[in-house]
Amino acid sequence: MKTLVVGLGNPILGDDGVGWKVAETVEKLLPPGAPIDVDYLSLGGISLMEHLIGYDHVYLIDAFASDEPVGSISVMKLSDLPNYSAFHTTSTHDTSLQNAIELGKLMKTPLPNEVTVIGVAIARAYDFSEDLSAPVAEAVPLAAKILLNMLARKMPA
Amino acid sequence: MTQRISIDPITRLEGHGKIEIFLDDNGNVANSYFQIPELRGFERFCVGRPIEEMPLITNRICGVCPEAHNMAASKAGDMAYHVDPPRTAKMLRELLYSAFYCTDHTTHFYALGGPDFVMGPDAPVAERNILGVIHKVGLEVGGKVIQMRKYGHNVVEMIGGRKVHPCASIPGGMTKGITEEQRKEIEEMGRWAIDFAQFSLKIFNDIVLGNKAYVDLVLGDVYTHHTYYMGMVDENNKVNFYDGKVRVVDPNGKEFVKYEPKDYAEHIAEHVEPWTYLKFPYLKKVGWKGFVDGIDSGVYMATPLSRLNASDGMATPLAQAEYERFYTTLGGKPVHQRLATHWARLVELLYAAERWVELVTDPEITSPNVHTKPTQTPTEGIGIVEAPRGTLTHHYWTDERGIVTKVNLIVGTTNNYAPIQMSTHKAAASLIKNGVVNEGLLNMVEMAFRSYDPCFGCATHSLPGQMPLEITLHDADGNPVKVMKQFC
Repeated sequence: MKTLVVGLGNPILGDDGVGWKVAETVEKLLPPGAPIDVDYLSLGGISLMEHLIGYDHVYLIDAFASDEPVGSISVMKLSDLPNYSAFHTTSTHDTSLQNAIELGKLMKTPLPNEVTVIGVAIARAYDFSEDLSAPVAEAVPLAAKILLNMLARKMPA
Repeated sequence: MTQRISIDPITRLEGHGKIEIFLDDNGNVANSYFQIPELRGFERFCVGRPIEEMPLITNRICGVCPEAHNMAASKAGDMAYHVDPPRTAKMLRELLYSAFYCTDHTTHFYALGGPDFVMGPDAPVAERNILGVIHKVGLEVGGKVIQMRKYGHNVVEMIGGRKVHPCASIPGGMTKGITEEQRKEIEEMGRWAIDFAQFSLKIFNDIVLGNKAYVDLVLGDVYTHHTYYMGMVDENNKVNFYDGKVRVVDPNGKEFVKYEPKDYAEHIAEHVEPWTYLKFPYLKKVGWKGFVDGIDSGVYMATPLSRLNASDGMATPLAQAEYERFYTTLGGKPVHQRLATHWARLVELLYAAERWVELVTDPEITSPNVHTKPTQTPTEGIGIVEAPRGTLTHHYWTDERGIVTKVNLIVGTTNNYAPIQMSTHKAAASLIKNGVVNEGLLNMVEMAFRSYDPCFGCATHSLPGQMPLEITLHDADGNPVKVMKQFC
């Protein structure tokens, strides 16, 4: 089983970079030699799908725009998220990750059957900064712990 | 009763855009506004950093074309340090950039612009995407698109040191060259890219040009504007994405100005409107006359169509033949019909692939001489490249240590802000009549801005990302009377 952890977001756009911070924390705390790869990406859609090729299970950590209090953590299956672009051509440059994975699978590309999303609620990010706001920064250790617990179940005893 | 329609296509990667349409008492368009929220603090973020960091920082502005920012920043760094990179370094940068162009233009055609034509603008939204294209044209297409993207990424990684966000460009050139083994691999991928570009043009020819309804749509007045056109050209006035002078032609196709990148501020000014944060660049020597067509209006466009209009041709043979067919078919230069941009993009795809092979087969491409060491005190640098979606300008000022003190960027889409505003307004005014608003009409309004391949450069990735496209009709008191939703 090949497992990948992806910190997703823009690391210079304030709270949008929370996924990278959680991934960094996870990478530091993983046991030495753990069979888990960690990556840091600012991509979506087809470009993101291309980085998931060859993995059995993928954990995406991303900022999450929602009505939840800032700093709230949600764990979801990608398949449980609405696939907006199933209704439309979606983003001005690409398609949704769900569509991209479907595209890859149609092309017989080895892609994960399971993608788990760990979302940290933020307010909309409009300011360039490498720093997180206090409530989002406070969520990083807990999000990392939740993910490490999930990863522990994937590792050999 | 005045009605207000709000189109809010907030997207995952490219920032936010929102179209507000106001209807008059008869349900016809009284006015419309294409609004873009501003991302704040980029200059403040950059000030105080070494200029060498700028190619790495600026490619994080946007998740769509980091390679373009990397190139413009690298060129600005060369100028700030008063250093001319060796020929091989310039070729390596352009080679990387050509491969990136192939990836980017491919994605736009197959995932974004193409579905409107391959599936039809009125096709059910569930089918109007890349999966629909594959189901209609064949599985082979999907495999080729993925292969093209893979090759593009491979070249960026081989030359740039990293996929997507290259890091090998520094003031004075590159940190490394390529081996003969890599050169052969890159050449093989480039030759495949030429075949793929020709395949893509054939699809366009068969599906779009072979369908009278689509040709009428492309040539119709709804998507037509007569403006100035901007694009970078080489010494023969042929299209070049990486280097050259910026040429502007007037609405009749006559050269208006051709300037060195360092002189951009003499020619471009920015207009401010109270209803949006983003500024509207215009030609300073013509002047801002509002959102109007014509030779007296300083509005200009910078897109694949603009680049073809602003040039005398393509520098490679197969692309030149397509360039000639493009203008013969569409009735001569310049072409003003915005939907023709999709075709122009494919002509550029072919040029990028040919240029890729041309560069990688140059005898000096594997030379180890890839860097000229800067020896002078840095001051000020301006770098311009053609981003896929328009002329991209980076301008930095530094202190004597090379620490950035001021930054000015004019990104590709910003050039096109006024034309996009004009196009969306005209499409809305032409298509929305007597209060009739449906999904098909809404998509045709969207098509007006989609042809520009707009990018508002923020790279925000916040889930759920794609937000509902919402049209809200308001009465004169601001009360919502009808809400329509779709997703984008």
